[in-house]
Amino acid sequence: MPDLDRRDFLRLTGLGAGAAAASACSDPIEKLVPYVIQPETITPGIPVDYASTCRECSASCGLHVRTREGRPVKLEGNPHHPINQGKLCARGQAGIARTYHPDRFAGPMAKGADGVLAPISWEQAEAQLVSKLTTGTPQVRVLGGDRGPSVNGIVDSFVAGLGGAKRVIYEPFAHDALRAATAQVFGRAVLPIFDISQADLILDFGSDFLDGGLFSLETTRQFVEARDLKKHPDGGARLVSIGPRLSMTASNADQWLPAKAGSEATVAQALAQVVRDARGGSESARRSSLAGMDLAAGLDAGAIEALAKRVLAAKRVVALPPGVGAAGPQATATAAAVLVLNAALGAVGTAVLLPEAETRPAAADLSALTQLADDMKAGRVDVLLVHDSNPVYSMPGGLGFGEALQKVGFVVSFASMIDETAAKADLVLPDLTPLESWGDAEPRKGIRSVQQPTVRPLQDGKALGDTLLSVAAAAGVAGLPQGNTHDIVKANWGSGWRQALDRGGSFSSTPTTGARIVAGASALDRRADAPRAGDGDLTLVAYAHSFLGDGSGASLPWMQEIPDPVTKASWVSWAEISNATSKRLGVSFGDVVQIATALGSVELPAYPRGGVRDDIVAVAIGQGHTHGQYASMTNDGAPGVARGVNILALLPAEPDASGARTFTGTPAKLAKTGAFSRIPISQWTDNQRGRGLVPEVSLASLAGGKEAHGEVDEHALVSEGGGHHDGPPFEYDMQNDASPESDYRWGMTIDDDRCTGCSACVAACSIENNIPVVGQDGATRHREMSWIRIERYIGDGDLSGGRERRPHPNREKLGEADVRQAPMLCQHCGSAPCESVCPVLATYHTPDGLNGMVYNRCVGTRYCANNCTYKVRRFNYFDYSREKWPGLLGMMLNPEVTVRCQGVMEKCTFCVQRIESARQGAKDEKRPIADGEVQTACQQSCPTGAITFGNSRDPKSQVIAKSKDTGRSFHALQVLNTRPAITYLAQVKRDDERSHG
Amino acid sequence: MSLICRTHRHWLVTVSFASLAAAASTLLFSDGSAAQGPLVAGSVCEAQKLKAQKAHDPHLEIEVPPEHDKSHPSLEACLAHDEAWNENNEGPRQPIPFSHKHHAGFLQMDCQYCHSGSDVSRAAGVPSVEVCMGCHAQFPAEYDQMEGIQILKQHWAEKKPIEWNQVYRLPEYAKFRHNRHVQFGLECQQCHGPVETMDRVHVQPDTTWKYFVPAQTLEMGWCIQCHRKQEHQASTDCMKCHM
Repeated sequence: MPDLDRRDFLRLTGLGAGAAAASACSDPIEKLVPYVIQPETITPGIPVDYASTCRECSASCGLHVRTREGRPVKLEGNPHHPINQGKLCARGQAGIARTYHPDRFAGPMAKGADGVLAPISWEQAEAQLVSKLTTGTPQVRVLGGDRGPSVNGIVDSFVAGLGGAKRVIYEPFAHDALRAATAQVFGRAVLPIFDISQADLILDFGSDFLDGGLFSLETTRQFVEARDLKKHPDGGARLVSIGPRLSMTASNADQWLPAKAGSEATVAQALAQVVRDARGGSESARRSSLAGMDLAAGLDAGAIEALAKRVLAAKRVVALPPGVGAAGPQATATAAAVLVLNAALGAVGTAVLLPEAETRPAAADLSALTQLADDMKAGRVDVLLVHDSNPVYSMPGGLGFGEALQKVGFVVSFASMIDETAAKADLVLPDLTPLESWGDAEPRKGIRSVQQPTVRPLQDGKALGDTLLSVAAAAGVAGLPQGNTHDIVKANWGSGWRQALDRGGSFSSTPTTGARIVAGASALDRRADAPRAGDGDLTLVAYAHSFLGDGSGASLPWMQEIPDPVTKASWVSWAEISNATSKRLGVSFGDVVQIATALGSVELPAYPRGGVRDDIVAVAIGQGHTHGQYASMTNDGAPGVARGVNILALLPAEPDASGARTFTGTPAKLAKTGAFSRIPISQWTDNQRGRGLVPEVSLASLAGGKEAHGEVDEHALVSEGGGHHDGPPFEYDMQNDASPESDYRWGMTIDDDRCTGCSACVAACSIENNIPVVGQDGATRHREMSWIRIERYIGDGDLSGGRERRPHPNREKLGEADVRQAPMLCQHCGSAPCESVCPVLATYHTPDGLNGMVYNRCVGTRYCANNCTYKVRRFNYFDYSREKWPGLLGMMLNPEVTVRCQGVMEKCTFCVQRIESARQGAKDEKRPIADGEVQTACQQSCPTGAITFGNSRDPKSQVIAKSKDTGRSFHALQVLNTRPAITYLAQVKRDDERSHG
Repeated sequence: MSLICRTHRHWLVTVSFASLAAAASTLLFSDGSAAQGPLVAGSVCEAQKLKAQKAHDPHLEIEVPPEHDKSHPSLEACLAHDEAWNENNEGPRQPIPFSHKHHAGFLQMDCQYCHSGSDVSRAAGVPSVEVCMGCHAQFPAEYDQMEGIQILKQHWAEKKPIEWNQVYRLPEYAKFRHNRHVQFGLECQQCHGPVETMDRVHVQPDTTWKYFVPAQTLEMGWCIQCHRKQEHQASTDCMKCHM
């Protein structure tokens, strides 16, 4: 063989040994299973999007469900929907796992004589319920969340038809205090709509408006709009956060006033009084109304006065009422004071709007829930039907719902997957998931959306509405609507059904009315703080976790894995205490402490922070489940063991003055236990050590540059820390950063000033790119796989603090909100350190300037990760995809992206599969890829539009236009000259109150 | 390897002729004599085969009952049907004795009539049962004598998908776009071999290439040798296929 080269030689030698094993004559291993009847709309290999509705929280955002061959693979926001406008939060995106979840019931279950749930048929199951409903005159209660008008209608008519039955609408986070306050102040029990897009000062009284609060995607968008630097050269709206904890929302504030837990009402009342007095113009009146306020709120002397001046100086001030984390014994009073403050500021009618009518049924407040629990305990409830909620987990511990449930004759759960309530039920009639069933939603008047199935039921479940309809028919209950749920949703919709399915619903503006303060509204009455029962020197603050919500997010694997935006902890519970408290107790990071209230105690590791007051201990709601693959420790090898603690179990069933549910304000004792438990955190320091990873520029320097030179100053960006970035970012080097022949060099611009740290991009990336979860153990060992992360630093940092890894150094300071947040992902360096060290050329530079990663070439030396400047390369230490995605979860995978196996390195690809899809479309039409045609998953989901992606070789592209923000643009660690494809835009320091320096 | 497969195929060709002879000889009662009366066809396919035998050997006495004396199914269809399930043929046995040779070769149906979508989608698309029935539902009842048709109609009646055995398999870390290659004007046969000559589809080695491997097993080197050709202007960038 004259032309035998090295490769031929190797092939020949290999062939000798492996001839029999070669594939030519071997048996095929896969089946090709085509359709019986292929739907007209489906071509295998081409995705189909359906419009639907998200059911993860009450905001009911519009969805676009991307399906491949009839199975949903990705959820994105519906651009037509007025609330989310094409965006979707992390929780909404991760909700896709519910449909494929290994915790789902395969079919109906009934408790046998041995007290264990065992499968039965639907006929038998429904017959059991029918016989319970028709024997004698049972007292029936239906407990569950809001399911949208049509399914609510079925439930309501079912309850009405039974006679004597009652429906209790139960939502753990019901905003009942705000509704009660609106009734007090404006005389109408509705939830106000807040529009902060025109504001110039936003006062946040613990509202969580960036973090899962009421319609938070909408308020997040408005917040960034109000601070857009192009529209508002003065920096736009300032945010002042008032509350005892530096929450995710407060992390984005320009000023943080660390008021005592529960004193928000005091601050709001004082401000309202000041604004009223200011109209009278009396300086002395103002002083008298502020007297003693600082002390009551636990703030520095003069802090409230300074805030009052600030409020008076601003033109369009909006105050946002408390959310879950600030709902204490004064919850309604605080909300009322905030509404009165808004009225005094003239915000009502412009920024605070009252809808004409509430479209969602009002959820039961704590008094009504207590009534239900009392009835149950007294044996006055014979049959309890539970749907769309997990009351055994989420009711306050003081209510004793678990014991009350045992007194109920017959408990039926409609849960689609196992939870604490379903485990105690006598009968389980599994509901379908939102991606499998029909429904509708009307979060506000004028915003109606359809929820349509996008996949056939994967388990033998039955939609709640259909189950109730067939049970009603069998039990002879009259008055239910005709047909099945689909028919009823369609009939209720009226005209334009086809169009609604296409667009996702019908959307118009919400009619609102003016509002006047009810005469004699007593919102400004000073209330004496009614101390809660129990002793303890600390106040327990149970706040809503960004991803776990009321606990229903705990079963979603990605919601456990994505680090909490503030603490960067995942998979566990932790107790946030101040540094002073930790010193006093002699505990440091990870030392287990015991939190005790009058209702009992829990043990969990301590997380000392500078960002919480000395007089509180803060714990996130959501963990502590004993059932579920991910919600409990099952996937980590300990079935039935609770993951973290359920802090709700320590809360008393004490409502506030209006009967609303409260989450904070309970006195708690804290004690050291001596044990240690490692908290999995993804970021070990918040000190950027002056490297300017997330620098900040002052407004003055931006504006000053303009004045000094008559044009923009290219050197306005000065990092206070290392001073590495004293120059503009370099221009792209056409020769080196991508092939000279290529028309494209893919690049990205990330505006740190718009990043709120919400982590929607992290969820989007994980789902788009088949990124597995590694579990608690893996996360503790820093084996997380996420391709994009949100880095969070405090200030510019310095070189102090030594190099110890533990205890976790915390640079947060009480009253300072100098938080820097930025997404970090593969920078696709033009001169990439990883490429030069790969011994097998598995990572290389593509002609389009991408930093390519070829999985099938990778042999797992991990040299590239060692040499990566940005620590964005992830290694598959185990076969995570196989281990952590049991059962049907594998069906959720995106077929466009290779699933990586053990021993392979991976990292951000700039969603190369999306680039290729766009390229195919462009090739078909024989044109170049248009600007904006490729949207990476992170960019698509970003609620604030902080990420722009495009072709850096197109001078007219958005990505170039945005990156030419002179004075703000920089590259991460520019001094190393890695020539990244990502340009960051520095965060802007709008306010000197942000940090005291 | 190539050698083994080639020999194998050669042997198959012989066998397929032999099987026709064998089928006829069973009808001829092995000694070849027609003394015990004419050969009676029990089905249209048997009749077709007997008629073919008679054309070859005019002395043969055959009897074709009128209900089996039909023009269809044709002799070609009957033989293809048998060959598709002939275990001596190369390639995996499929759940239905479907012959590509008959449909694509003899009937000259366009590949994309059944594998529609291969010009627009990255997946070639295996036809649904409905596509098969689109033609076969209109055929006369005599076709139902064929086992393959019976299986097909059973699937259709039960609305059960046909689980074909995959012949050409790409590893999942390689992404292939059929539409790009079809639109470029490549013949399907360039990668899939002369499918129109195969009763039973199997991977056929491409012996034109210098590498001593069965080429159409879709090895990367074989993809690349085409992508490298200047006139094709195809990319050899790793990330075009591996993503």
